[in-house]
Amino acid sequence: MDGENSLSVIKLKNILLVTVPDDPGDDIIHELQTKVLHAIEKYQSKGLILDISSVNILDSFFARTISETTQMVALMGGKTVIAGMQPSVAITATELGLHLGKAISTLDVDRALDIFTDNFKLV
Amino acid sequence: MNHSHSNSKYISNFNSWAEQKRFVNFTDEDAALLQKLHPFAVDYADVFVEKLYEHLQKFPDTKRFLGDEKMLMRLKLAQKAYFMDLTSGDYGEGYFKSRIKVGIAHQRIGLPPRIYMSTYCYYMQLMIPQIYSNPTFDVETANGIFSALHKIINLDQELAISAYIHATDEVISRQTEEILEMSTPVIQIWEGVVAAPIIGMLDSGRTQQFMERLLETIVQTNSPVALIDITGVPQIDTATAQHLIDTINAVKLLGSQVIITGVRPVIAQTLVHLGIDLSGIITRPTMALGLKVALDKLSIKVVDVSKE
Repeated sequence: MDGENSLSVIKLKNILLVTVPDDPGDDIIHELQTKVLHAIEKYQSKGLILDISSVNILDSFFARTISETTQMVALMGGKTVIAGMQPSVAITATELGLHLGKAISTLDVDRALDIFTDNFKLV
Repeated sequence: MNHSHSNSKYISNFNSWAEQKRFVNFTDEDAALLQKLHPFAVDYADVFVEKLYEHLQKFPDTKRFLGDEKMLMRLKLAQKAYFMDLTSGDYGEGYFKSRIKVGIAHQRIGLPPRIYMSTYCYYMQLMIPQIYSNPTFDVETANGIFSALHKIINLDQELAISAYIHATDEVISRQTEEILEMSTPVIQIWEGVVAAPIIGMLDSGRTQQFMERLLETIVQTNSPVALIDITGVPQIDTATAQHLIDTINAVKLLGSQVIITGVRPVIAQTLVHLGIDLSGIITRPTMALGLKVALDKLSIKVVDVSKE
């Protein structure tokens, strides 16, 4: 019965949008990477938006996966944007020294979309 | 006799007071000697209180704490009760608690410890003749009573002064907390721009609090730019710089960008000498210039209409 609890990758024009669930387990995080990369290949998307606004805890595995996925997406010609990180998550990540690599952050999904539509200079 | 637990926060407890009693060598014998004085103290109480307050009223410094007639009456009654307590022979927990209560009350009305202490001196001046001119006491007994009285007064003073200090410490720590909060306000100064002036040194405890407030405000106001103004930071060291960099990284993770403003010449010199690399961060000498950069980033143009 897989698919019941799994992630949905939404295609918006030439961008992919993934909403990461509340407390993503390692398998979900792994699934995220595979699904995203296949979707990029399929739709030839130029970017990925990861909405993590409901994520309360960011562990090192998740951080590394985001960082690696960003690199993989870049290899396939896309840009990754992390949207809506919570303040408490940002503080913990800083304290633990977690890095998201080349991923860009934005305050919310709206601003993430702005990045792809070039309405927004702040990159 | 037994008071409530209202003073439970007091640092000293009844057990440590027992230790203090041993330290000043206050024994059961002393308690018994004081009790011998008790009947005379009861007889003398009214005269004593009148004389004491007569003395206190002579000085403007102490007079202002005595209040109106009604207040004076209350004080005299309390003083009389204390005077009799001193020789009651019972120096248990009830006694202990009421001493602390008195110390806190005195601190609250702002009575200087100087006056509190000196009043005891006058108290002894009144009491010594009462002990030595009393025909019932031989010299040895009188000496014993004098010594016991001296000890119990010393114990009382220690309790009251410690309570004073404790109460003052509480005020200080509360104020320190308030200052800490006030010294790092985070304010929205434009739609999409928050500003946080830092006053004073940025230590790790403060950084934590500052970071939380800055991040919360950025998310609440949905601001892509945050100005951190360090004009009020007297000097910067590697630790402060690291705290600043941590804050900048956390802000970056949210999807907002920090502009450091108020970089004075001395700060710029120190940063370079310490080898702290802020090259990836936009820095400006004044907040005004920082705001300009922020508005530019948000594609906002401010025009002087008089020049159009």
